[in-house]
Order: sequence, then structure tokens, then C-alpha cells
Amino acid sequence: MTSDLFVFLNTHTPVSSEDFEELMSYAEHCSFGKKVRLTDIGEVEHYMYFIQEGLARKFFYRGKNEVITHIVKEGGIIGSAASFFSGTASRYIVDTLEPVEALRFAKEKLEELYRSGRKWERIGRIITTHYFLLQELHLLDNIRYSTRERFVRFINDNADLVLRVPQKHLASYLNIKPETFSRLKHLLVKRKHE
Amino acid sequence: MNEAKKNISPEQFGFVLKYLNHFMPLTETELSGLLQYCELRHFEKKAVILREGEMENYLNMVLQGLVRKYIRVKKNEVTLQLATEGHVIHAEISFLSRIPSLVTIETLEPATLLSISYQKMEEALENYPKGERLGRLILTGMYVKKDEKWYDRLSKTTRERFFDYIDQHPHMLQRVSQKYLASYLNIKPETFSRLKKLVPKRKK
Repeated sequence: MTSDLFVFLNTHTPVSSEDFEELMSYAEHCSFGKKVRLTDIGEVEHYMYFIQEGLARKFFYRGKNEVITHIVKEGGIIGSAASFFSGTASRYIVDTLEPVEALRFAKEKLEELYRSGRKWERIGRIITTHYFLLQELHLLDNIRYSTRERFVRFINDNADLVLRVPQKHLASYLNIKPETFSRLKHLLVKRKHE
Repeated sequence: MNEAKKNISPEQFGFVLKYLNHFMPLTETELSGLLQYCELRHFEKKAVILREGEMENYLNMVLQGLVRKYIRVKKNEVTLQLATEGHVIHAEISFLSRIPSLVTIETLEPATLLSISYQKMEEALENYPKGERLGRLILTGMYVKKDEKWYDRLSKTTRERFFDYIDQHPHMLQRVSQKYLASYLNIKPETFSRLKKLVPKRKK
């Protein structure tokens, strides 16, 4: 199970099995049911989670509406990262959409790991780079692509999530009005049958 | 190459130190060591620093002047960043992933940049004692800033975005043309003009 993280790390930077074992001694395995809140608004985020199984999301409230900024499945990282990095109160809620199995890293454990050797500082920097780039790409995609393009690109890359995530959540994540999302989804079904 | 260490003014040295101290304590000697990897670059007004499609080879801090980053969307330019003294600006994805840039970076005022090339950054990460740690912390700082901006864009009303920005950056209305500010704040130019007329009234 933990090997998913091993694969993930090695797609970014070489990590030996000995190093990985050392890393695991800093991690904590955790399981959550569906709709469990991992982080609340106003709390300081204590963990970053590597999802091994299940789905989680990050969102905030605009008035009564949820605005979803992240949906993360197996093989991805989630947490209220800005709060985790800066130590300030989270403006987001992190919760599970499906039961989740995850490895989580507490802030002080990661600090301890980084202090234990430059090798870990390096791995930490490379994974942070990856996480930073995902954010930047998501923001740029939201600006440079039209609603329709965002929809089609997402569906092509994440066919599984269309079945797993309620439509209203996907619409919020893609910053598309629910009505528009329904209309686009109909187009897609038609196109497949042609 | 214009050696940063020799040519940087004491005042500029001061705000580079202040920026980095935000992430970790650095002595003046340590900063001098880091500046050996950097260079100073000067640009005229309206100079293109990086064109869309080119490879970003630098991470820059603005020491003087004003620099704009934008992305072309169909026939429009969307302003992504307006960087003034002490701000970090570059094409992040291109620089870090070594792929052609999606964005263009240009000066709106004559500018001096403190720059580190990709190659020199690699050397600094390798050889400068606090390099790896500093590199990671600068990235987290950039993440937090972007998160804030995105949160504002999604959560605030047009009016809130306008007045919050003007309150926090009162000089920018004089320094930057209205169309760039409107684009940066994701406000229609007509709406921006209307809101701008409310500024003097509001101060009384």
C-alpha cells in the first residue's frame, strides 16, 4: 500500500528503498470515512496527506455556496497547504468525498526529517516544486481556457472522476455554472455515440 | 556579467535581506555569499524580458521599476502580475519544468532586476549551505501568495477586489495604466473607471 508513495516520489526524484523506509518512520497511516472533515476554517493545518485510496477535496464558502479549489484522488497530495506552509489560520475546509486511506506527515515531523540531512531538504524542495507547479498550472488553465475547453480537458484527463464526484462539485471545481456543466455533459454523451 | 555583489546599493541589499529573512535568518555575510550566484540586469521602459514561447532562464527580484507578466488569451492579454520593488517575478512553469513559457514578461518602467539563472541556481542548491532549505521556503512563500490571490479572485466581489487593492497599493493607480490594473483585478474597464471615480469621495 505504501508503495504508491514510493512510485510517486520516484517519478520526481530518485529515492532508494532504504531512504523510503526512513521516510515511512516519519509518516502516519490514517483512515477516514466518507464526509469526514480533516481541516476546518480557522484551524492551522497540521498535516499534508498523500491519498492512497479514496477522494478528498478542499473548498471554502462564498456566502452559502461551496467553492471547490481541489479534488484529489489516489496518488495525489492534499491539505490546506497555505496554512500548513505559513502557520496561519486556514481559509479552507478539507474533507473526504469517499472513504480515504492516506499517509500523513505532521509539520514538526517533516521539519525533523529536513533537519536530519541535506538529502531530505532536497527531496522536500523537489516535491514542493511539483506541488507549486500544479497550483500554477491550475490557475493558468482557469484563465487561458474557455469554459468548454476546461470541461473537455478535464473529462479527457479524469474520466474516472466524472463517475465518482457529484456533478455540482465538478462544476464548482472547474468554475463552471451547474447549468452549463449539464449542457456540456449532454454534448459529450452525444459525441461519444456518433 | 554585471556582478550583483559589487553593484547592488546598500538600500537594495537591505530589502533583499528583508525578503529572505522572512523565510529564514541570514547574516549579511551569508547574503553576500548568495549574491555571488546572482547578476544585475537593467531594462528600458517597455522592454520585453521574456517572450511567450521562449525558455525562462531566470528567477528575478525587482530592485527598481515596475514589471508586468501577462498571458495571451485569444486576442486579449490577461495581466497576471504587476511587480514592484522587492517582488519576485518570472515564468514559474517554464523556469522550473524547463519548457517554453506560456507568459510574456515586460517592463512598464525602466527596471533593475536581481536575477539568478537556472544554472547558477542549481550550483547554489548544490554548494550554498542553506540553498536547499532556502529554495524550498521561497517556493512555499510563492505558493502562499498565489493562494491568497486566487482566493481573493474567487471569493471577493468586484468592488471588494478594487478597494482592497487600492487601499493596499495606493500608489499603483498613478504608476500603472488603468487597463492593466483592470485586467489584473479581473474587472471590466468600464466598471474600473466607475469605481475609480469613487476613490476621492471615499477618502473624506
